[in-house]
Amino acid sequence: MQDIIQREVTINATKERIYDAIANPELVVLWFPNTIEGKYKVGERPIFGFGEHGRNQIYIVEAKPYEYFSYRWVPGSNHFIGDVLKVPNTLVEFCIVEEKNGSCKVTMTETGFAKLPIETAEESFKQNSGGWEFMLGRLEKYFAGV
Amino acid sequence: MTVAQIFKALGDPVRLKIVKRLSDGSSYTIGNLSKDLGISRQGARKQIQTLVSAKVVHLKPVGREIKVTLDTSSLELGRAFIANLENQWDQRLKALKDLTEK
Repeated sequence: MQDIIQREVTINATKERIYDAIANPELVVLWFPNTIEGKYKVGERPIFGFGEHGRNQIYIVEAKPYEYFSYRWVPGSNHFIGDVLKVPNTLVEFCIVEEKNGSCKVTMTETGFAKLPIETAEESFKQNSGGWEFMLGRLEKYFAGV
Repeated sequence: MTVAQIFKALGDPVRLKIVKRLSDGSSYTIGNLSKDLGISRQGARKQIQTLVSAKVVHLKPVGREIKVTLDTSSLELGRAFIANLENQWDQRLKALKDLTEK
């Protein structure tokens, strides 16, 4: 059963610059959430704001300059406000690896879909923004050859 | 039928097993399909009925038997949906790339 989504991008920038764009609250809002309320630091529970799409409280797990940053959230649920650690959640990890040519490979890995209850997934689906990954992962696997 | 209902119907290991069996495109009789699922025949019937309600599978009477086949059109939605989710991350990472390469 697939529990994971993994996406990659090659970026022609230094790992310091990329890490900063992910871990610095003033920069991350330029490409990911529209706003951040609260402290964007390890062990804190800031709220990602997605404008009219709602707000989603996350938990920052780990930050290792200039190679790793991770947080937990309720995927796709842009209306989750509360302690994310007390509900089924997924772990989102960003890994930055320097390539030989000076560019960097950034890998986003999101895991934990298999543990999400169906209700979370349903809610996510209603919000039209994901959460079905754990089911879809299974399906992909089963129907890959069809 | 919404995608939500379809996936809810699949949110069970026995039902997934059933769907997996049907995924090579072959059809089974209800009797054959109910074997080796680790549950009673009656239980299996109930699970199959759930899949029918969600339009994940079809029932078709053939002679004296009832054949079960997969309704792939429902499942197409699922594949489309996965692409959506991955797209979402791709878009975010593209935005990160644009920002940092500036």
